[in-house]
Amino acid sequence: MANSDVTVPRAAVGNGDQILHVEHATHRFGDVVALDDVSITARRGEFLTLLGESGSGKTTLLRIVAGLERPTRIARIAIDGEDVSAIPASRRNCTTVFQHYALFPHMSVGQNVEYGLRVRGIDRDQRRKRAEDALALVRLLDKYGRRVHQLSGGERQRVALARALVTQPAILLLDEPLGALDEKLRVDMQVELLDLHEKLGLTFIYVTHSQEEALTMSDRIILMRRGRIVQEGPPTDLFDRPASRFVADFMGVENLLEGTIESVQNGTASVRIGGHVISGAWSGTGLAERGAPACVAVRAERIRLAPRGATVDEPGVNALPCTSGATIYKGKYLDQTLDTDIGPVKARIWDRGVDVTDLEALWWRESECAITSAENGAGAGSGEEADAA
Amino acid sequence: MTMTAHASETITYAQVRPPFWRRFMDGLPRGTGLFFGYGVLFILYLPIVWLMILSISGEPLTGIPGEWTLTWYEDVIYADIAQRDGEAYGSNFRVGDPLLLSIGLAFATSAACVIGALIVGPVLPRVKRRGPLLIGFLMPLMVPGIVAGVGLFMWYRLVINVKMGVWSLALAHFVWAFPFALLAMLVVASRFDTRLMEAAEDLGASRWQRFWQIEVPILKPGIFAAGFFGFLLSFNELPFSIFMRAGQDTLPLYLWIQSGAHNTTVPLIYAMSTLVTIVSIGLTFLAIKLAFGGGKDGKQ
Repeated sequence: MANSDVTVPRAAVGNGDQILHVEHATHRFGDVVALDDVSITARRGEFLTLLGESGSGKTTLLRIVAGLERPTRIARIAIDGEDVSAIPASRRNCTTVFQHYALFPHMSVGQNVEYGLRVRGIDRDQRRKRAEDALALVRLLDKYGRRVHQLSGGERQRVALARALVTQPAILLLDEPLGALDEKLRVDMQVELLDLHEKLGLTFIYVTHSQEEALTMSDRIILMRRGRIVQEGPPTDLFDRPASRFVADFMGVENLLEGTIESVQNGTASVRIGGHVISGAWSGTGLAERGAPACVAVRAERIRLAPRGATVDEPGVNALPCTSGATIYKGKYLDQTLDTDIGPVKARIWDRGVDVTDLEALWWRESECAITSAENGAGAGSGEEADAA
Repeated sequence: MTMTAHASETITYAQVRPPFWRRFMDGLPRGTGLFFGYGVLFILYLPIVWLMILSISGEPLTGIPGEWTLTWYEDVIYADIAQRDGEAYGSNFRVGDPLLLSIGLAFATSAACVIGALIVGPVLPRVKRRGPLLIGFLMPLMVPGIVAGVGLFMWYRLVINVKMGVWSLALAHFVWAFPFALLAMLVVASRFDTRLMEAAEDLGASRWQRFWQIEVPILKPGIFAAGFFGFLLSFNELPFSIFMRAGQDTLPLYLWIQSGAHNTTVPLIYAMSTLVTIVSIGLTFLAIKLAFGGGKDGKQ
């Protein structure tokens, strides 16, 4: 159903063609520093996600790109090669999809979608045609004449999407676009957005606080905290190689065991925690140093159980003697707490046949955990040329 | 009394005995409130209806309806042009000029109210410490008309030297009507979602386009209400006009003077008042229909 009027020529992703440059952006609201000297770039056609909790500066950064916020200080901001530092939002070649839809209540669906063309003085017939193409793209062609208040939440967000796409922007900015939708709709819309991104080859900059959403959709994730970038890279990087304890925690790693680094060898660090030594790949920023505090990040689904009497001493395996703790039924799996002498460890048990009551130890492979910096690592990476590509 | 029926048995009526006004209210027969309300409406509207009936009666000064005739309505017109069937007509009830002046003032006030409310209304809900500002803008509502009239008279006449007459009348009418117009605008403007303006800007709309294509259509009910209040309040205004007239007569002022001065013109006042009332009511309905009639678009 895609039509050439809305489709932007597919650009090769990853050819180093940068469509967005933000260099040294700082923004303050009164005394609060919302954005602290942040630089980002985006490749043409990339799906870039700004991830972070509320107050991390991700939305501020997006609004600065859109032109809706004038940064307190910025070295340069360029969209598609054009320096837009002094150009207002209305003349920037990017559009935004807002979390709260922001559809004009006094206009029909069609008029909403056409609005960006109307203010550009495009004639009625052309407008209608392009609006219909955009509505077809989000599968709402039959809703052209409807009033906004007759639509469901999901439909409204798709109209907002069509409205933002119809002007053929160089970059599409999405500010938590699925935040107001319920769980099931959100998952459907994720797929729909990915399809659209695939189909249009447009650069998407996507703001979200959901690590799951970021992992599912992004080519690259920029994780932010307190106005700075803490880590950026492809989803697998953030998921498997967290640069700090904060990243591991934010990316949903259930078990974070803190200790001190005892030895480092070929990128593998060994950490002493109580009477145990645990090894894994070093993923923290900089080099691992002996004696420095570190954190072992291991996901609950990587934890395996050894029944009483079994011996676990193969090379490349970390093991901790344990006893069984509380069990939480989650439907598809069990969340099992295991008590060890260095504190509780969470395991996720998919196999109902496993006896969790009488255990010798829990274990996981060294390759299945990461050793990372124990400090929360705010500021790592910010201020550098933030091109991880 | 059934009020304790649901409570535990150990609680006696004496313990939960309501205060006397509650018992008094409970004791009133059903429909008392409604009856009372209709009574108020009756007191309010009876004189107006009575006046309308008398305006088509042959002997209105007796206060008794009957002998239906439209002669007083004809007289309003004949008296104004001071002749009937080619002959001089002996009445000095000349309502034409006051009527024109009042209509002109009402339109001017209405326009000024719309513009003023459109400038202040959308900004006020977003100002940080808006309490004192709001009170400042709405204060004229609470100052008695006569007091404000004297004050304005002294001010215009002695301090800023406004040319008394049409200009002072127009200014005073604006001062009087603006708070109402602003209030009407604020009802709509305080619910205006300013994020829509951002969305429009993001889509490429210039400042003017955002104002004209987004803000004005959404504030339309407030604009109509402000204009309508401006018109009616100016058209009916008396206390300020007394001080500001400087020889000019507005319609209410003229009717007021006439009703005090000449017995013979009273039937004409009845007729004129009836006309004004009917036109006012008609305008009110029209304004409501214009402002809220297309209501399907107005809601989100």
